[in-house]
Amino acid sequence: MSLKVGELGFLKELASRFQIPAPDFVVEPVAQSVVKEKLEKWRSGIIKPDILAGKRGKAGVIRTVTDYREAVRLLKQVAATEISGQQPRTAYMVQSVPADWEVFSAITYNSRLLGPSLTVSLEGGVDIEAVDESKKMTIPVGVFRGLNAYEASEVLSKLGLEGRPNATLARCLVSQWDMFISTGMLSCEINPWRVTADGQAFACDFKATFDQNNRKFRDLGIRWPEYPTNETPFEEEMKAWAASSYRGQAHVSDLGGKKILPILFGGGASTIIIETLTQLGGDPIFLSDFGGNPPYDRMKQTAAICFKHHLATASLLLILGGKANNTRIDVTFAAIGDALQEWVDEHGPISIPVVVGRGGPGLVQGFAHLKETLDNLSMPYVFFGPDTPITMVAAYAAELSRAGEQHDEKGDAA
Amino acid sequence: MMIVMKAKSLEDLLKKGDRVAVSNITGREASSVSYISQVYCNNIVGGWSLAKAGQTISVPAADDIPVFGQFDELLAQLPDERKPNKVVVYSPPEAVYGDVKEVIEHGKNCVETIFVITENVSVEVTAKLRRLCNLDHFDILGCNTLGVINVHDAVRIGAVGGDSPAEAFIPGSACIISNSGNMVNTIASYLQSAGLGVSYGIATGKDPLILTPIKELLRMAEHDPRTRLTVLYIEPGGVYELEAVEMARAEGFQKPILVYVAGSFAEGTGISLGHAGAVVDGLNTSASAKMALFDDYFGVPVFHPEDAKEIMPLLAELRRGLRVNTLHDLVSAASTLMEAMQWDRDMIPKNPLVLRPWIVGLGSFTQRLPSHLVPHVDTIIEPYGSLIKKYIHSGLGHTPPRQSMRNASHASSNDGVTPRIYGYSTLSMMKQGSFINSMLLCWLGHPVRHAFETRLVDMCLIAALTNGPGTISAQGAKLSASAGNGPNTAMMTTLGTIGEVHGGNGKVAAKLLVDVFANTGLTDPYHRDHGIDLDKLAAKFVSEFKKTKSAAKEAGIDYSMVPCLGHPVFNTEKVNYDPRERVISTYLEDQGYYNVFLDFYHRLAAELLNQQATNKVHAVNVDAAITCVLMGIVWPLLVEKKISVERALDLPFLLFALGRVAGGAGEYLDHRECGTNMDMRVPVSECRALCRGRD
Repeated sequence: MSLKVGELGFLKELASRFQIPAPDFVVEPVAQSVVKEKLEKWRSGIIKPDILAGKRGKAGVIRTVTDYREAVRLLKQVAATEISGQQPRTAYMVQSVPADWEVFSAITYNSRLLGPSLTVSLEGGVDIEAVDESKKMTIPVGVFRGLNAYEASEVLSKLGLEGRPNATLARCLVSQWDMFISTGMLSCEINPWRVTADGQAFACDFKATFDQNNRKFRDLGIRWPEYPTNETPFEEEMKAWAASSYRGQAHVSDLGGKKILPILFGGGASTIIIETLTQLGGDPIFLSDFGGNPPYDRMKQTAAICFKHHLATASLLLILGGKANNTRIDVTFAAIGDALQEWVDEHGPISIPVVVGRGGPGLVQGFAHLKETLDNLSMPYVFFGPDTPITMVAAYAAELSRAGEQHDEKGDAA
Repeated sequence: MMIVMKAKSLEDLLKKGDRVAVSNITGREASSVSYISQVYCNNIVGGWSLAKAGQTISVPAADDIPVFGQFDELLAQLPDERKPNKVVVYSPPEAVYGDVKEVIEHGKNCVETIFVITENVSVEVTAKLRRLCNLDHFDILGCNTLGVINVHDAVRIGAVGGDSPAEAFIPGSACIISNSGNMVNTIASYLQSAGLGVSYGIATGKDPLILTPIKELLRMAEHDPRTRLTVLYIEPGGVYELEAVEMARAEGFQKPILVYVAGSFAEGTGISLGHAGAVVDGLNTSASAKMALFDDYFGVPVFHPEDAKEIMPLLAELRRGLRVNTLHDLVSAASTLMEAMQWDRDMIPKNPLVLRPWIVGLGSFTQRLPSHLVPHVDTIIEPYGSLIKKYIHSGLGHTPPRQSMRNASHASSNDGVTPRIYGYSTLSMMKQGSFINSMLLCWLGHPVRHAFETRLVDMCLIAALTNGPGTISAQGAKLSASAGNGPNTAMMTTLGTIGEVHGGNGKVAAKLLVDVFANTGLTDPYHRDHGIDLDKLAAKFVSEFKKTKSAAKEAGIDYSMVPCLGHPVFNTEKVNYDPRERVISTYLEDQGYYNVFLDFYHRLAAELLNQQATNKVHAVNVDAAITCVLMGIVWPLLVEKKISVERALDLPFLLFALGRVAGGAGEYLDHRECGTNMDMRVPVSECRALCRGRD
């Protein structure tokens, strides 16, 4: 679980707290007189959207301004301009700062080093992946000891930055580390640092991801702004529901499919089931993982949310998982059955087929309960036990949904 | 990070004889998994959990698991030969760092490996655990691992294999290494179809940082004599596979690898799968990049079953392995690989990968399907076949889901104003109902349907009150009064002196009736035109009883009598009725009611004599009558699946106990009022010594 923060969050909440030099800024809505005053002082400013999108996404709308009237107009325009389908939260103007160098720095946990690492390049301002390996350096950072100024300075020297700029930026990188480790970040990228020959440095763009499992992040006491997201109402509702309890998983991602409503258990199992369905034309509506031994009430509401958003248009209900280690099948299946019954009570009968495959504690009792519900609802069904591989059950479900659909099409034509 | 593993071979991770300690062992997941592990392999020497010191987890046919307050207490109190060399961490995320630190601090002399099962541990803590373990030379797996199983030694750590590890894991030569714990089990089951067993199953954990990376595990597999090949289940994210392939190339690994990479469908959707998204590792960590990485290493194109023969020469020459696109292709890929390597299979292939439906109810939907999509139920593997017969095809009763019932009840509620029984207000019942009806609501969860049922239960309770002062339940109350106890103790003593033999026979009779009538289609037990040939049922039952009785007699062993026939009071008399049963029967006859179960019981008594299963004229006793009354009440609820069979079976004994405890209270009141202290004592002169004095 992670939370992303962009430049505006950094400027408002983090830069001064960790003494990281950053340009002055104003945020829309802002009075014309303030914009005028700032531009008189700065001479020029840069208008940016407050959005969690990559550099390339934002590049098209970023504007440099010197005239305050234009700045006011652009602030409103940029705040209202969608980028890659996302609406910016607002727009802001930052002070233009001079630069002799643009430097990239990122601190992140590194799967090769199994700990934090610092990556630096003097080719800042562009996507780091596009920078030649010889022009960037990564060094491990001791997770207990932290980053020392001399280590940062050495990296900068090796890359060719010497003198006062080196000394200033090395201290800035140490501050970046302090911020990273004190706030429970997973990654933190400043791209670019704008550095002048006389030794000034400003953090001029920023993105970070916080680890929501980290107590330090939870204890920060900062209320981060809510960004408009591309989440569908289904994802949004399930996300809120998932966050309401730690017992049992309730993860979904809409896939835009139209046919199979998949209630799946187990992260690994869900992945291979969706992959099989996709390959074989099952057109799954979403990816889900509802494992982790959810109690009855939890599972029932999870299933109810799935049914509320997608059951009316689904052509097959698939309830599938591997052989559970801990998840009680009698509890979870009773909950799914009861949620299905309530959906039908409210919305009327539905006759799509139900394909079930599962293994684990309380399996047959769970099957008994679900079968009873499906019999009551007159829904066609097939149940498989753990002796049928889940990918074969998924393949069968995909074929069944296709066959049902073809029949419907023929029926319609007739 | 340079990791120097203590374990050089997979056996060093886990083997028979290893001693396991479990943190937070009294937690929900830890206690249930530890219990199953202990039954499976008896390798847990103890656990610790703050404020739970002194508890013991009892495990049948295995060592009990002692619980200590802290890890250092566990070390101090266990003898040297029981000190743990493996530690499993089930602590809550916030406690993981402290608990692992405690293990490292105190366990230097004995602990080799730490397995962190906990999920949602922060990445910072995970990195710190790796550093601490590096400094003090501990091996660590996780976080968020399901555990490890050593199949040849039949030992496991964590929950690999679920509640029956031996089912999926048959000893063999494939080592399974998977990011996902559940996939370890699934792949093990799949491989059986290729005649391939498992040497080790290892869940690496699926957190962003994998503390024992795949390269280290592959190196151990390379050194493991029981492992011929490795099967990898891979998800997007991290450079673990890149490192593994670099190492395999550099060190010239000899053992082939079968790989399945999941998650390509999510590319371009923004969905974060596996380790992806949590850690910035640059390019080449996507599913498709990992697929390309392995294909390049293997030098063989991705496996398609139809091309098996064509790739075999290349596979035999390169001996590196191959990748599959769908998981069930692992079976044919494994067969192809073994053939190319000229290996014998580990075993005769089991459980071919086919659809095996257990329950099919497609109804009219089948008309819309081609025939190959209409599956047919074949033999279902045990124990599931029997369970399905019991729970699904018997058609009687329902099985409520299990859940934590702490602070929760269907039977009662109280909103602060109105106490309720199954949702019915006790206040209303006090005004308009009766005790019997409220009690039956409490026991059944549903109101009684007929007024005469209330009267019948009333009669049964009266019958249960007493059978004279000589009954052991009455004696219990009198003994308690004689000792000077209060009324509650006397009532408990009454209850303590009834049991399966005294009063509990009704449960056996209820079971008999459920077995006999389960498949007869009976819906209304009060309807005379039930259409069931009761004489035929009784004859069949007696014939089977005779066979069992004669076989048991021949073998010289005890056999179960037909319950609730005859009664000690009448055994020596030439009477064939129990007067209390007659009262119930006569009431039914006088009122024009019928009870099919009582009718059956009378025919059964007659049939026993008729078939010479006994030479006595048996009476249908009052316990049978009570059982028949209650079965009459509950049968429609069982047919409509509103209550469980288990609940129905308990009712006769509950009713007897309730009546008898009231009778016991009467004995107590009488005895306390009129008896003398200790008057129930048996004089020493009347006691017989059955053992000689020995000193």
